[in-house]
Amino acid sequence: MTKSKTNDVIVLEHVWKIFGDDDKVAMQAVQKLGLSKNDVLKEFNCVVGIADCSFSVKRGEVFCIMGLSGSGKSTLVRHLNRLIEPTAGKIHVLGRDILGMNDAELRAIRAKEIGMVFQHMALLPHRTVRDNVGFPLQIRGASKAIRWETSQKCLDMVDLSGYEDRFPNELSGGMQQRVGLARALASDPEVLLMDEPFSALDPLIRRQLQDQFMQLSQQLQKTTVFITHDLDEAIRIGDRIAIMKDGRIVQIGTPEEIVTKPVDDYVRDFVEGISKLKLVYAHSIMVPLAKFKPPRGQTLNNAPRAHHGVSLDELIDISVKSDKPVVIQNDKGKDVGVVDKPTLLKGIQGGKA
Amino acid sequence: MKNDIEKNELVASVDSFADVNADYYREAFEKIQQSERVALTWNSMAAIFGPLWGAIRGLWGYFWIFLILEMFALVQIGRGLWGELGADKIARYERLLANIAKREQQAAELQAAGDVAAATDKLNIANNLKKAAETTLLEAEAATQQATSVLIFGLILFVAIKLMEGLYANHAYERQYLRWRSNPRLQTGLSRANAIWGIVLIICILPLTLIRYTVAKADELLSGLTGGFLGQTIPITEFPVKREYFSPLAALGDQGFDWLASRFGNVFDGITYSIRTVLDGIEVLLIGTPWPVVMVVIVVAALRLAGVRVAIFTAASLAYLSMMGLWEISMITVALIGTGAFLCVLFGIPLGIWFGKSQRAYRTAEPVLDFMQTMPAFVYLIPIIAFFGTGKPPGVLATLIFAMPPVIRLTALGIRGVPEATKEAAIAFGCSRRQLMMNVEIPLAMPSIMTGINQTILMSLSMVVIASLIGAEGLGALILESLQYAAKGQGLLGGLAILFCAMVIDRIAQGAYRKK
Repeated sequence: MTKSKTNDVIVLEHVWKIFGDDDKVAMQAVQKLGLSKNDVLKEFNCVVGIADCSFSVKRGEVFCIMGLSGSGKSTLVRHLNRLIEPTAGKIHVLGRDILGMNDAELRAIRAKEIGMVFQHMALLPHRTVRDNVGFPLQIRGASKAIRWETSQKCLDMVDLSGYEDRFPNELSGGMQQRVGLARALASDPEVLLMDEPFSALDPLIRRQLQDQFMQLSQQLQKTTVFITHDLDEAIRIGDRIAIMKDGRIVQIGTPEEIVTKPVDDYVRDFVEGISKLKLVYAHSIMVPLAKFKPPRGQTLNNAPRAHHGVSLDELIDISVKSDKPVVIQNDKGKDVGVVDKPTLLKGIQGGKA
Repeated sequence: MKNDIEKNELVASVDSFADVNADYYREAFEKIQQSERVALTWNSMAAIFGPLWGAIRGLWGYFWIFLILEMFALVQIGRGLWGELGADKIARYERLLANIAKREQQAAELQAAGDVAAATDKLNIANNLKKAAETTLLEAEAATQQATSVLIFGLILFVAIKLMEGLYANHAYERQYLRWRSNPRLQTGLSRANAIWGIVLIICILPLTLIRYTVAKADELLSGLTGGFLGQTIPITEFPVKREYFSPLAALGDQGFDWLASRFGNVFDGITYSIRTVLDGIEVLLIGTPWPVVMVVIVVAALRLAGVRVAIFTAASLAYLSMMGLWEISMITVALIGTGAFLCVLFGIPLGIWFGKSQRAYRTAEPVLDFMQTMPAFVYLIPIIAFFGTGKPPGVLATLIFAMPPVIRLTALGIRGVPEATKEAAIAFGCSRRQLMMNVEIPLAMPSIMTGINQTILMSLSMVVIASLIGAEGLGALILESLQYAAKGQGLLGGLAILFCAMVIDRIAQGAYRKK
């Protein structure tokens, strides 16, 4: 397999999906005239599912796609393994053109390189947990011994050893989803697609599974596209987040960027209720050393020092131990800025400097 | 204030609904809507015009109900006024008189010929007939006297119906108004087209019905009135077509079947041959094998597959069959059913899978399946005999036609019931179409398919007696024989044997699936 020279495992360029009988005609009209979603529905009786989406995901990155229901996020993720055919655009996964593949190639890449986890688990009810996890390998024609060994390994990863011989309906929702995760990991794919995997679970179990997933993710370094409608989840899990609305990607950025610099009111509404403590870092609220005027009779000599990448949460801990402002250092240990208490409070309040 | 506005809107909407006489209907509706019990309102227009009022206002239910009621009352009135109530009795009386005269003449001739005994016989018959004639005459007179009471009954009924029309009209119209509020396409006001349509219907229905029920010789009267057109050219008491079209078509059908039978004889022979092969195989297995072996195998199978209780029941059933001396013909029956069920499953499951996946194929096949299930078995027994002759293979074919639809339907149902999400997941892991079918669709549809197989087996059993009509041996033939000779005991014992066969097969099959 020829891996791409760049580090981008998944690349989407101007992907469109229009549902309807006249999708091709509608597509041309949209590209030429720039019709709105409603115009397309009215004139061609076609629904725009995905509109001009482009993004790339780096190797080992966890890329979250966040949006409300109907925003097209689940449709978009199904383009990556071509469960849904795009109407226009280019999709490359692991440097290979997904859209140019024939059926056999497509089945091969699905079986070997792209694992998927579904919102409603979609386990096979007539198979034991072990055979469910081994299913992707069975499709590739692996022997029973290899299937069992691999599924044992994967079930260990998700802490489900001991349940190999149970049937899915004997497990709780959270456990079923861990089986789903184990199944996705069974063929040791490069890419993981997770379609709202934790949405159907209750909040406590969701939290547990998020933690477990993050741990696994760190350990396995799989390139992951993670769909969610929960911004908290996206921020907890994602290295970068794409926010979708009506089939379009509104903003792509790190959690910090999304929270501190929302591009429009739609994103702003989302991030309003999000706690900034763990998302905003010292460098974005500090006052540069040159501009800082210490109060009379005070020096920064004995002031506590902190790295510029510490979060506001940690900064609070450091700050309460001393009367003095916190001096922020860069990577080389050089003092670059200062955060005094008013600055810190303002930062907590709004994430603004 | 707000209440007033709402009320005004209401008033306006009744106005635009009723259109003509809106003031009157507004008051009537208000009375109905404010009353806590059934409000009494009187609508003179409705009482006078009756069903026609309903037609004009678009109340077709009202139109039909009161048209029929009025017609009934008018028929009574007509019978009382001009109907010849004793007409049929008088006709019979006249026939009797003619008969008596004939007998008396015969008696006179016999007497003249000197045969006194025969003459006395004829005279006796004539006397008996005279008694009957007298009774008939009395009945005729009584019927004629009833005319007045029938007339009075008719008049009272008519007045009562008119009262009902007037009292009920506003209620019916108010309900129509409420329907119109949620469906503004309904008729408002008066409709000229509906008035014409209503009059046409009344003209078509009322006079003919009235004549038919009140005049003894309706056809003659009508032909007199219409110059021979109605009544003579087109009689109204019976439909003017006899078997003119039916007979030639049936003859054509005969020819068609004969042609098919001779043209495709080889094909039909081939089908017969393949069915016979399967049948013979199963029969040799069940009858050729020593009976203790077969019994032990069946009981052990029941024990392993369905548990102790079913095994005991199976053993008891087998004991019954063998002690009644029905062992061999029971096995013949089981072979027949087994062949039928095997072929049903062999063809039914693939067809079911196809229909489950292709909506279009299913829509095309649906009427055929309905036909197979609802057409009485005797109808397709006839062509089956024409094509395949008599004996067991045609019996199996008849069973196939009747018993295949459930397995097809339930397989299709099962395949369609496989959740999209599960299929999508399997495809996402790289399943080919064949892998998807073998690993996901068929296993998930299995409960439904098993139900279908079970249904098919039971329906095959119910065809056993019918298949015996075309010469399939077995328990069915036993029952058929008891039917022909009214052998009640034999019929009962044979019926029980069929029942036990069915229950054993059903319980073992169900137990086997449940255990899995």
